[in-house]
Order: sequence, then C-alpha cells, then structure tokens
Amino acid sequence: MAKIVAIVKMVPDLVEELEINEAGTGLDRDWLRLIINEFDNHAIEQAILLKERDAGEVTVIAPDAEGVEDMLFTTAAKGADRMIKLAGDLEEGANNHALARAFAEAAKPYQPDLILTGVQANDDLDGPVGPLVAEYLGMPYVGYISGVTIEGNKAIVRKEYPGGLIGEMEVTLPAVLGIQAGEEPPRYVAISKVRQMMKTAEIDEQEISELNPNGGVIAKRMYLPEAAKRAEMIEGDEEEIAAKLVAIFKKAGAL
Amino acid sequence: MPERLNYWGIPHTWGKPELYVYTIMFLAAAIMLFRFYRQASPWWRIGRSEPRWDKLHLRVWRVIQYAIIQTRVLRQRYPGLMHVAIAWSFFVFFLGTALATVHDHFFEFLYGNTLVIYKFTLDVFTIIFIIGAGMAIYRRYAQKPERLTLEPGFTWTLSLIVIIVLGGLGTESLRLAVERPDWGAWSPAGWLLAQLWISTGASETTLTNWHLGIWIFHLLTVAVTLITLPTGTLLHTLTGPLNAFFSKLDRPMGALAPAAETAEGKPIFVSKLSDLTWKQLLDGDACTECGRCQDACPAFGAGTPLSPKKLILSLRDALHHNGGQPNLVGEAIPEEVLWSCTTCGACIQECPVLIEHIDTIVDLRRTMVIEGMIDAELQDALTNLGRYGNSFGQSERMRARWSKEIEPKVKDAGKEAVEYLWFVGDYASYSPTLTEITQRTAEVFQKIGLDFGIMYKGENHAGNDVRRVGEEGLFEMLVEKNVKAMSRCDYQSIVTTDPHTYNTLKNEYPPNGEQPVLHYSELLDQLIASGKLKLSNKLGYKVTYHDPCYLGRYNGVYDAPRRVIEATGCEIVEMPRNRDCALCCGAGGGRIWMEEGEVNERPSESRIREAVQLKGVTDFIVACPKDITMYRDAVKTTGEENNLVIKDLIELVYEAL
Ligand code: SF4
Ligand code: SF4
Repeated sequence: MAKIVAIVKMVPDLVEELEINEAGTGLDRDWLRLIINEFDNHAIEQAILLKERDAGEVTVIAPDAEGVEDMLFTTAAKGADRMIKLAGDLEEGANNHALARAFAEAAKPYQPDLILTGVQANDDLDGPVGPLVAEYLGMPYVGYISGVTIEGNKAIVRKEYPGGLIGEMEVTLPAVLGIQAGEEPPRYVAISKVRQMMKTAEIDEQEISELNPNGGVIAKRMYLPEAAKRAEMIEGDEEEIAAKLVAIFKKAGAL
Repeated sequence: MPERLNYWGIPHTWGKPELYVYTIMFLAAAIMLFRFYRQASPWWRIGRSEPRWDKLHLRVWRVIQYAIIQTRVLRQRYPGLMHVAIAWSFFVFFLGTALATVHDHFFEFLYGNTLVIYKFTLDVFTIIFIIGAGMAIYRRYAQKPERLTLEPGFTWTLSLIVIIVLGGLGTESLRLAVERPDWGAWSPAGWLLAQLWISTGASETTLTNWHLGIWIFHLLTVAVTLITLPTGTLLHTLTGPLNAFFSKLDRPMGALAPAAETAEGKPIFVSKLSDLTWKQLLDGDACTECGRCQDACPAFGAGTPLSPKKLILSLRDALHHNGGQPNLVGEAIPEEVLWSCTTCGACIQECPVLIEHIDTIVDLRRTMVIEGMIDAELQDALTNLGRYGNSFGQSERMRARWSKEIEPKVKDAGKEAVEYLWFVGDYASYSPTLTEITQRTAEVFQKIGLDFGIMYKGENHAGNDVRRVGEEGLFEMLVEKNVKAMSRCDYQSIVTTDPHTYNTLKNEYPPNGEQPVLHYSELLDQLIASGKLKLSNKLGYKVTYHDPCYLGRYNGVYDAPRRVIEATGCEIVEMPRNRDCALCCGAGGGRIWMEEGEVNERPSESRIREAVQLKGVTDFIVACPKDITMYRDAVKTTGEENNLVIKDLIELVYEAL
C-alpha cells in the first residue's frame, strides 16, 4: 500500500487585480485573495487516483493561509486520508526554500513512497518547490509529469516534453514528482460533501520549527508591467518595408 | 307505460340469471383487484414512504377536476374531445348499470318518463362513444402522430371497449326489434338498428336467440376487459385518478424539496428504485403514454435524447423488470437524458395525470453531482459559483461595475434604507452584452423616482438553477449568503429582472415576512396602474412577447408584462405557443452552463422561426436577461437579424418614457 504525500500551497488568485506593497518589493498581501495552485490541484487528483486504483494512503500538507482549511476539507471530501496544516510566521508569506524545508520536515515522519506536488506555481520566485523538497529529503525528482503508475518499489511516469513528445520513465521510490496534469482533470466535489467533512474530518495543525529562507532570492523591486512604448507601424510596399527594417536593425546594433 | 324488463329474453329455464351475472362479475372484479394489487404493491414495497394523505378535500377535488372532468385532457382539442367522448360515455354507462341494479334490487324507479330519459341518455352516449372511438381509430392508425407509439395492447383495449359498446347496442336493438314499444324511438341508435333487424324479416325467436348470444358475449367481454385491465392500456383508468389524488399539494411548482433524509439524517441520493418514493414509482405506472409531454418538451424538440415520456416509462420498465433493481442513472436512464432537461415545466403543465417529471429528474441529477458525474463546463460554473458567488468566475467586487456610469450613484441597500431592494442577478450584472440593458433599467427606475438600492458585492447568485442542476449544498450555501446580506438591508420589497431569481426568492427562500418579491414587469405594471409611471410616447410597434418559463408557467405572471407592453403603445401579436404553452429558450435548469451536445435545432432558434412567421412583427420582447443572450444569438444563427429585433421590456419602456 503506497504512502502518498501531496504537497500543496495557496497562491494569489488572479481574478483580483494585484497590488504591490508599500515597500515595492512584493505583493500587497492585504488585497490578496488566495486559491489553490492549479498544478497542486492536479497533484491532489493524481494522488487520489493512485489511491483509488491501487489502494494507498494520501496525506495532504499545506502551509497556513487564508482559505487553506476549506481547501483541505475539499481534498478530504475527494478522498484524502490526512490533512496537515503547517503553522508558523507565514503572514508575509515565505519563499519556496523555507517552505520546502518545512514540507520536507513534515513529510518525513510519514515515510512517503511518493511525494506529489504541482510542477510550478505563479508565485515561485525562487524555483519550484518539488526539486527543493527532493533535495532536502535526498530523493530523486522528475517534473512535468502527466501520469503515474506504481509498480512495486518503482513508479512509471509519463513526462511531457515540448512539441508533443511524451517520455515514459521509471523512478525508484521514494521519489518526488512535479505534476503538470493529473490523469484526469481535478474532480468536482459537491458542497454538501465538503460541509460534511467540515463537521467530521480533522485538520492536523503542526508548527513549523524554523522558517529558513536561505538559498532563495531577495526581490529588490516588484512592479506591475509598465506600458510599453508606442508601437510604430511600418508602412509601404514589401521593398520599402524591408529597407526600413534593415535600417532599424542597424540602428539597434543588431546587424 | 314504459317499463323496464329485467333479463329480457333470457330463457325461464335458467332460473335466476342475475346469479350468473353477479358471479361472473364478482369473479372478474376479484381477479382484476388481485392483479392490480400485484401491479401496484411494488410502489410501497420498493418505494420509500412519503405522506400524501393530507388535505383530502383538495385531493378529491383534483380527482374530479383531472380524472372526471379531465380539464388537462381537454387542453388539446382533437385528442381531448376524443378522450372525453370515450371516457364520459363509460362514466354514463357505469352510472346506468348502477342505477339499473338499484332499480332491480332496492328501489324501483325506472319506469314511465324516467325510463325514457334514462334510455335516451344511454343511447346518446352510445353515439358519442362511437364517434370518440372512430376518432381514436383514425388518430392511431391514420394520423399516427409521432408522440404516440402504437402498442399492441392499445389495439386490444380499443377492440374490447368497442365490442362492449356494440354488444350493448346490439342487445338493445334486438330487444326493440322484438318488443317494438311505442317509445322505442327515444333510443335513436337502438331504434335505427332495430329497423334493420325488422327489415330482414327474421322471426321473433331468431331475434331473441341472437339477443341471447350477444348478451352472453357482451357479458364475457366485460369480464375479460376487467381481468386484463391491470396490465393493459386501461390501467391508467385506475392509476390516473390515483396519481391525481396523490399529486403534490405541499409546495408550489416553483419550489423543489431538499433531498430526503434517512432516519440518521443523511441525505438520500437516488440511485435505485428503492431510493424513490412510492409516489415517484406510481408516476411510472400512471403514465398514459399520451406523449403530450414529449410534444411540449423543448429538449425533445431540439433533438436531444430526452423525452419526458420515455423517461417516465423507463421508471415503469425498471419497476416491472425481472431480476434485480437496475441502476437508475446510466443504466435505466442515460446521463445525457437527465442533463438535457431545461426544467421548463412544459411536461408538468401538459401531463393529464399530473406526473411530476422534474422532481425525479432533479433527484437523479443530485446523484450525478454527488458522484462528480458532470461535464467540464458545468464543473467550472459550479466551482466559480462556490468560490465567487457567480458563474462568470469574476470577483464579487466587479458585480456592480455596470453601475459605475450611473449618476447619481445607485444606493447601497446595505448602508441606507430603500423602498425597493433590486436583486440584480448574475447575468444582468456580469454579462457584457447585458450591461446596457441593466443600466437602462437603473435609469428608468431613477426617472420614475423609485427609491431603490442594490447590494453591490453582498449579492450572490440566487441559486435557482444551481438547485435545479442538483447541487443542493451549493444552493444552500448561496441562500445563506444572500439571506445574510439581505438581512442587513432595510427595504420594503424586492425587485428583480430575472425570472429565475424571482422564482427562487419567492418560492424557495425562507419567508421574508411582509416584503413581497416582484418581477420588474409586475412593478412597472403597478406603477403604470397607480399613475406613478407615465409613458408619454406611443411607440406603435407591432411586437410579440416571449413568456419566460420561470415567470409564466412557474409563477403565472402572464398579464403584467403584456399590460406594460400595451402601455408603451405597442400592439402584441401572440406566437402560436404563448402563455403557458410558451416554448422554453433552452437556457434554464443550468443548461446555460453545460456543454450543448448535439442538437438539430436549438429551442431558441425554433422560437425565432415561430416569431418571424407573424405578419408585420418587428420586435421580439423578452423579460429575462438570459433571453437577451439566447435570442440575440438565435436571430444571428437563423439569419433573421434584419427581420427581428430582440428587445428587453425595459428598452420599450425607456423609449416610451
Ligand atoms: S421540464 Fe421541459 S425540458 Fe425538462 S423534460 Fe419537461 S418539458 Fe422537457
Ligand atoms: S408523462 Fe404524462 S404527458 Fe407524458 S406521456 Fe405520460 S401521461 Fe402523457
């Protein structure tokens, strides 16, 4: 019976307009609305699918954030067995290095065979979480996965390459996989099921012993995209346009 | 003096003929009841219990209205007249036989003029029956409308009842031919036939023997009919009235019941027959297979796999199918069938025996939702509704963006007291094509001097169609949020332009005291009547009006919008399918959120084609935001863009102000 851990986090929901904080170094968290990272949602789906197919136990770990409990109850309604919320000094957010250390520490006691996480997230400033967790736990990592089968102490994974190529490879367990897409799209859970879980399921809250951001990047300035300079339309017949282009390229030092 | 002759022409050597008659009839009736019991007992053996014995007087009235007078059957002329000709004749024949029994054994009264009237009435109904039966034969074997499937059982039944009536006529005419009473012509049909027998010159004995033969045959046919009744077409004569008697009385058409619960308080999701109530199973056995629902169904008309008739008959088949209960979803009834329903209510409106299709469809949809068997588009919509309170997946802060340009600013009903709380609804709030109409509505309200406000981001989708999709938990959550937001507002009435919102607020939300819920057509109508709204321009257009399902069929609001249109100086030309027969636009019941699937002709396109047939009509008036979206699309796809303008009621009012 495979022990599967899904590592997930809440990220800024882009339906709201993003604002920069006063220091100009990050997002203004007062205005943030959070949503589960779409890729993490696929990782959860993949974990549940594996459990349904081959039996197994699914533990979901997420750092505390607004809305994280609803999200965890939703995963419980989908079939997760254990939900862990990592608490700590997370108000200002934490970089992925700090989170990955916390994730690794929290996952270790469960001796997972497989750790699944989204291959990327929209707030990954210092690289994705998956490879970092793999590093801290000394496990192999494969990313951009869109299908997993467990066979004994190995996992056969499908990896998507740009241009539509698909590779199949074997990884020795335990391993960390960065999920690009679950084999099925994330399922819908009826609200009544989630509400039922809110009454019956429990979220295990664990304190993060130390938030250590070492190795991450420090953002000096964060700003909204600035409006680009006005585009210049090049007019004329083919010959003229070509001549004008050559002149422009020369001026820019490209030719 | 005219006198009734009991058992005329039965040889005296037979002793007491009534003994034979009563024995045979008693046996036949006993077998009939036993077989009916066998047919019916699965209802309560398999189905869940549900109390439907309250308000007996109303139930009896429904039987009188729907089973005896048959008002529903009479909604359609040809089949209506055909059916009542047959049914009422049989009622009269039963009554006649009962009166004769009373006369024979208890109280003699059939003599003299009373007897003549009695004979005359029975004879006239014999003629009426023959006309009805002729119409039925023509309909089934010559007209063959698509909605009727010709079962062999139907031919058998029709033959039996025709033989019964002809047998009665035969014996009566032979008796008249022998007796030749001077009042014989008061049985015109019998008398005419008697003349035929007389003209053959047959002897009285021959005629009397013929009479005896036919009499015995008549008796046996009645017995056979009784015995076969519970398994044939005539079963509906028992189940139809029962279904009318037990039809729902506890809530209006616009209110769905929450999922039933087990003794432990767990919701029941219907997957097997035993999860349905006995009444839902009775629905299956009550179906007369008349196909009226199918004819009226927009989903069937569009070529989707849904036929409400077939759906109900699938329940019947599942109930009487041997060997185990099939899975209802997927096995007995395909998923796409259940998802195709727009919950327009046309089937319910037409069904002569008051079958409750939508309740069962929604029950089964709830099962599919809880199992996650929903298409991707619907999943997105529901996820958005759960997260943002609207199906558009936009922030609630954007809900009132349409109002930015309105001057003076629209009041926030959560902050100041208003007379009218305007529940704007999702489509009117978020859909870019509707922004202008929503702004017009605000402008009209302001010009009239209406004291109104909106809830801005406090408003959530009202949930009407969320509930009809089968996502009951989400519906409850939306209701809670809205009720909370509304309780913070100080208002006297609620007004909305959206019939779906209107329906659920009015019929499904917790009662909000004295504060009425108004559709804007009702509000405008009231304001016109009270003189508060004066329309100075007479527009003079020739228009047609489309009744939204949730305003018309569900809530009976037909006249208010029409009066408003007339007040703008427009002339209304009705489409053939108007008022309670109006065709659904195809968007309801959550269809607007689902993948369309394969259709031959969208209901909205069929509707536009119906409207452009009307001479001189330039404008198609709607009173529902979704209709604007649906029909503006449909005029394009049908290529009728230049022939018909889709307008909201408020646009007419704005123009006429
Ligand atoms: S409610 Fe309307 S769409 Fe649904 S089955 Fe009845 S007639 Fe058809
Ligand atoms: S469900 Fe009602 S309307 Fe439809 S075929 Fe049966 S009896 Fe007729």
